[in-house]
Amino acid sequence: MNEAVASRARPRTALWVAIAIGVAIALLVTVLATRDPASSRLVRSPLVGRTAPDMDAPTINDAGRFSLSDQRGKWLLVNFFATWCVPCQQEHDDLVRFAAAHTGAGDAAVVSVVFSDETSDVRKFFARRGGDWPVVADENGTYATAWGVARVPESYLVAPSGLVVGKITGGVKFAFLQAQLARFEAGR
Amino acid sequence: MNVNASLGTAAVAIGFAASAVGVVTLGVGLRRRQEKLLRLGRTYALVALVGVVASFVVMERALLGHDFSLEYVAEHGNRAVPTMYTFASLWGALEGSIILWTLILCAYTVAVTVRFRERVVDPLVAWATLTMLAVSTFFFALMLGPANPFQAVAGRIPLDGPGPNPLLQDHPLMAIHPPFLYLGYVGFTVPFAFCIAALVTGRVGEGWLATTRRWTLLSWGFLTVGIVLGAWWSYEVLGWGGFWAWDPVENASFLPWLTGTAYIHSVMVQERRGMLRVWNLSLLLATFSLTILGTFLTRSGVLDSVHSFTQSAIGAWLLSFFGLVVGVSLGLIAWRGDRLRSPGRVDSPVSREGAFLANNVLFAAFAFVVLLGTVFPLIYEALKGDPVTVGRPYFDRMTMPIGLALLFLMAVAPVLPWRKASHEVLRHRLLWPAWAGAAGLVLAVVVGARGLAPLVAFGLGGFAAGSACRQLVLAARAARRSGMSPFGAVVGRANGGMIVHLGVIIVAVAFTSATAFSHGDEVRLREGETATVAGHTVTYLGTEREETARKTTVKARLRLDGGQVFAPALNRYPNATQTIGTPSVDVGLRRDVYLTFVEAPKQPGGSVVIGVLVEPLVSWLWIGGLIMAIGTLLALVPGRRRLPTAPVSEQPVTGQVPDDELVTA
Repeated sequence: MNEAVASRARPRTALWVAIAIGVAIALLVTVLATRDPASSRLVRSPLVGRTAPDMDAPTINDAGRFSLSDQRGKWLLVNFFATWCVPCQQEHDDLVRFAAAHTGAGDAAVVSVVFSDETSDVRKFFARRGGDWPVVADENGTYATAWGVARVPESYLVAPSGLVVGKITGGVKFAFLQAQLARFEAGR
Repeated sequence: MNVNASLGTAAVAIGFAASAVGVVTLGVGLRRRQEKLLRLGRTYALVALVGVVASFVVMERALLGHDFSLEYVAEHGNRAVPTMYTFASLWGALEGSIILWTLILCAYTVAVTVRFRERVVDPLVAWATLTMLAVSTFFFALMLGPANPFQAVAGRIPLDGPGPNPLLQDHPLMAIHPPFLYLGYVGFTVPFAFCIAALVTGRVGEGWLATTRRWTLLSWGFLTVGIVLGAWWSYEVLGWGGFWAWDPVENASFLPWLTGTAYIHSVMVQERRGMLRVWNLSLLLATFSLTILGTFLTRSGVLDSVHSFTQSAIGAWLLSFFGLVVGVSLGLIAWRGDRLRSPGRVDSPVSREGAFLANNVLFAAFAFVVLLGTVFPLIYEALKGDPVTVGRPYFDRMTMPIGLALLFLMAVAPVLPWRKASHEVLRHRLLWPAWAGAAGLVLAVVVGARGLAPLVAFGLGGFAAGSACRQLVLAARAARRSGMSPFGAVVGRANGGMIVHLGVIIVAVAFTSATAFSHGDEVRLREGETATVAGHTVTYLGTEREETARKTTVKARLRLDGGQVFAPALNRYPNATQTIGTPSVDVGLRRDVYLTFVEAPKQPGGSVVIGVLVEPLVSWLWIGGLIMAIGTLLALVPGRRRLPTAPVSEQPVTGQVPDDELVTA
């Protein structure tokens, strides 16, 4: 008798609290599930929508002199990297694939900018892991400063018009780059 | 034909089948109430253990035998790496770490079935076994699916591999820190399983608590040791002089520790007063869920972390499993919760149960703050699209007041009687702990400590230490009165707990002093030059170069304070392009002098840059951790039958609440 009275009088706090927490956790799980991995993230940058800062420098891998203004008319991926950075090592194969996929058509190219690293290490890195696109040394970090690079790897997608359309932090993935390219092509 | 790949995959398949069939058998047995089926649970648990032990052995055989036809060995093995690190590289990367996880899980499952073999037909035990087997089914499935450690190399078999990450082959602590962490992490599966069993069977009396008390305490102890060893490793290896960086991986191990600690305290309220039942269940469910969430955060690559594992499809699996665990837990709580709530109330906030309640609020807040800081970058980015970093300042600012409040509670709670404390009792019992606090404060000021927060921490540390010592002294007196050995004064939950408290206080004091008062600088020196940095003279004697197939090491020989010679080093591994520093530390009880080799000479005989960091009391972090471990072990030893006059007494079997210390003290 007492028991029955007690249970009727007892509020259903546990139920409501469980539902509230359930909703909160469901939201958290949704957020977690829809996050891209820490690599390949399109982020905001004041540079997006502006003309790419100019770059005119000798390359360190016998690709002659590199000038950004010569690249008008095709997509350009400007990749800031260092050989000591693990995500940079991981993204390298994807970059090689991306560069190879577009060499034939000539509709997109890659340029790498060294971020505080030794030239000799970079040469060895490319010799071992492939990649024949221009690599530009950035002795005093001039380019990194001009582009607003905080930490490597960071990549910028420059449209054929010379405008920066996207900043990518973390290692890039081949599929991601292709998708971005298709997206920007469609949006133009 | 690849022997190791085939054997390993077969072993994993056996384990998976045994766990899955075990779950079904126990489920059917419970449904049809067939005792014969329930008795099979132990056999299945045993077969699953055999499967995972076999896969562990095969993987070690492949690693030690340098079988580079396995992808895991090809990616993490190397012929020149010393055997110990090769052995430890089983848990140095994603796939292998799942083997270790599953091994420990299956061992716990078998231990549970052996421990409760007399009660095998009891639905509570059967449900618990079923839950544990279900969890191991999931982990075996991971090894068959996205984290297959026995994947064969595609294409040509390499002749040698790059070896483990250089940071993981530099210090023996790396070999023992992860197993301890996993013993703790995975151990929480046992109380979780009993929790689920209690909710499903509706037998939520105090019985299952008593059953799992020691298991929880043991896991908690392992996790504590694992976390302290991790901090020590990071101090000895990473070279920045710190030991805790609020990195997602560290937070992932710290979160279950916080909720587990809250549980260990609040469960006493339930045992004593029958209150907080739903809360205690929730804490255990949260602890287990957080171990899975932490595993997801560190292994899915959603967060940037210094120790992040490589990315793979495992993220989706772990997240789904987390969702399942949370869903089932919350569903059970929603279904049973309101029936379990006890009508009891906390009579007065100034009572033992009031203090435990405050303790739990603080630990829950602590866990929330850490969880929020860990996942906030992801939430913010999902809403705003911008990346944001939550760093040390947030964690330091938010957790410092909580830590201080916990120290205060640690001082006051042990002397509080149950139900209600009078002013006289408080004044009497807190008298000399308060003097100890004052002494701690004065001592800190005399030796030169300044700043509000550190001084408050030292004062409260002394206060809490006084309180813990008072309890131990009273226990020793009681033991002597009843003619028992003084050893009786330190065993049992209450007394062992006080030793753990002393360890925590030592850790807190060391943490405060090493973070607030560490100082140092970097200095450029030519050969033979001497400089004074942070009160210590450093003479640079020259460099030494050692080349092996595995690494090239450059050591800077430094004479510290005109005495001993230390040699911090820079290591370059051929397969990794980054340079790894190895600090050299003059360890002392009062302070460590932490020497790092920042910049090697550009040309032979050139100048070098040396970092000197003085960290007061930092060694006490590890000593405090050791004391916590000893205290946990003592708490696991069954205490003597308590006299009602003992400083802390458990409810006697008769169920009658004894006279409190209030009356007898």
